[in-house]
Amino acid sequence: MRSDYDVVVVGAGPSGSVAARRAAEGGLKVLLIEKRQEIGVPVRCAEAIGADLSRPFLDYDPNWVDATIRAFEVHNSSGQAVRLPPVEPTLVVNRKVFDYQLALKAARVGAEVRTSTAAVGLVIENNSVKGVMIESLGRSETISARLVVAADGTESQVARWAGLKTVPSFSDYYVGIEFLLAGMQSKMDPQICEYHLDRSLAPGGYLWVFPKGEDTANVGLVITADKGNNASALSYLEIFVARRYPNTSVMAVIAGGIAVTCALKTLATDGLVVVGDAAHQADPLTAGGICLGMIAADLAMSVAVPALHAGDVRASRLRGYETLWQKRFGKMHQALYQVRKILNNMDQDRLDGLVRRASELPLVEMSVGQIVLTLLKNDPLLLFEVRSLIATGLILK
Amino acid sequence: MDRFGKKESEGKVSVDVRLCHFCGACVAVCLQDAMFLRNSGLTIHANRCTACERCLRVCPLRALTIVHHSAEAAV
Repeated sequence: MRSDYDVVVVGAGPSGSVAARRAAEGGLKVLLIEKRQEIGVPVRCAEAIGADLSRPFLDYDPNWVDATIRAFEVHNSSGQAVRLPPVEPTLVVNRKVFDYQLALKAARVGAEVRTSTAAVGLVIENNSVKGVMIESLGRSETISARLVVAADGTESQVARWAGLKTVPSFSDYYVGIEFLLAGMQSKMDPQICEYHLDRSLAPGGYLWVFPKGEDTANVGLVITADKGNNASALSYLEIFVARRYPNTSVMAVIAGGIAVTCALKTLATDGLVVVGDAAHQADPLTAGGICLGMIAADLAMSVAVPALHAGDVRASRLRGYETLWQKRFGKMHQALYQVRKILNNMDQDRLDGLVRRASELPLVEMSVGQIVLTLLKNDPLLLFEVRSLIATGLILK
Repeated sequence: MDRFGKKESEGKVSVDVRLCHFCGACVAVCLQDAMFLRNSGLTIHANRCTACERCLRVCPLRALTIVHHSAEAAV
C-alpha cells in the first residue's frame, strides 16, 4: 500500500465520500479512511433528506429509500398539530446503504478506501498540514498528503489538531437519542414526518417520528446540552415511547451529539479543509446535515482540486471555499439559528398557542408570508422577537 | 497541576462499556482533547482529563462517570 497521496479524506460519511469522489474525478490520488469496520454503521441519524438536494450526489435507488414523505406535522404538547407540505420532496433513507453507495462511488472513480483505519494525529510542518498518522488494522503508519480533508463528523478531532476552534458551547450542542421502532402500523401515517414540541420531554430541542416503512419508524429526540441536566436523553425518550407507542419493539438504539452553531468561521488552514458535521454545517435549527455536508464537500473540492493542480494549498487560496459556503448558506443559517433561539425562549404555553393558531389556518391556500403575518398579529411579542429575521429577508420577503 | 492543568486528586472520567454506544457525543465537547473514539472503543487519556464533567452532561445514555480516588491512590 502506498503512503503518499494528493488527498487524504478522514471519514467516509456522505461528506467525506463526496469529497473523495470529487478529488479522484479531478485526477488526484486519493485515500479515504474510515475508523469504523463498516461504512454507514453505526447509524447516528434520523435519516430524512431532501430529494432534490441529494440528487446530484447519488441517483435515486429504492435500495436506499425507506419512505417517501408527503407532509410534515408539527405537534404541540396538547395534541394539536399543524400539517405543512414539504418545501421539497423528502425521503427517509437507509444510511447503511446510502453511505456505502456514496463510498463505493468514490472507490469506482479511483479513490482508495480503507475501513478500520483511524486518524490518530496530523503531520504538521511549518504550520502546514502535510499528512496524517493512522492506525490501520493494528498497524501504525504515517501517510503524507498535500491536502487533508477533515470529514470526521461530530466527534471531529482532525480540524482541532490543525488548530481550529471546534468545541461548541452547550447552548449550541444537541444531544440525541433515537429508537428504530417496529410495530408502528396504525400508530402513524407512513408518509408523514412528525415533529413534537414538548419542553418537558425535549428541553431546548424536539422529538421526531420519521417513518421507515409501513410499520417501522425512527423515533427520537434532541435536547440542548445546557437544558437537559436532570435526566439522560435516553430516559426522556423512554417516557415518550412508553406513553405514545406502547407494545412496539426497539429494533435499534441510535445515539449522538451534533453542533448547531452555524458553520465554523474558519473552514481551511494550510493543507486542510473541513467539511460536514466536523465543520458544524448542519442546519442550526433541525440539525439536519446530510445534504449540507455533501454540498459543502462539493464546494470545498471545487476550490481545492484546482488549488492542488496549481500547487497552492495555502489557507489563503483554500478559504475561497468559505466564501462559497457563506454566500450560499451563511444568511439562511444565521436566521435558522435565531429561530431556534426564539423557540427555546418560549414557554410551553406560547409554543402550544402558536401551533394551535397555525393549525386553525387554511394553510394550503396561504403563502408563507401570509401564515407568518397571521401568527404575528396574534402574538405581538413574537413580532418583536423575529424583527431581526424580517431584516434578513428570510421571512415576509 | 500537570501541564494539562489537571489536579491530581480530582479523579478521572470512566466509561461504562455496558451503556456506551460509541457515538462520540462526548468527544466533541472535551476541552482537553482527552477522548478518542475508535471502531467500537472509547479511550480516555487520564493524564489529560481534568474531570470537568462536560462529557458526563452530554452523554445521551449517561455512560460516563467520574471515578474519584484519594491522593495516595493516585500516586
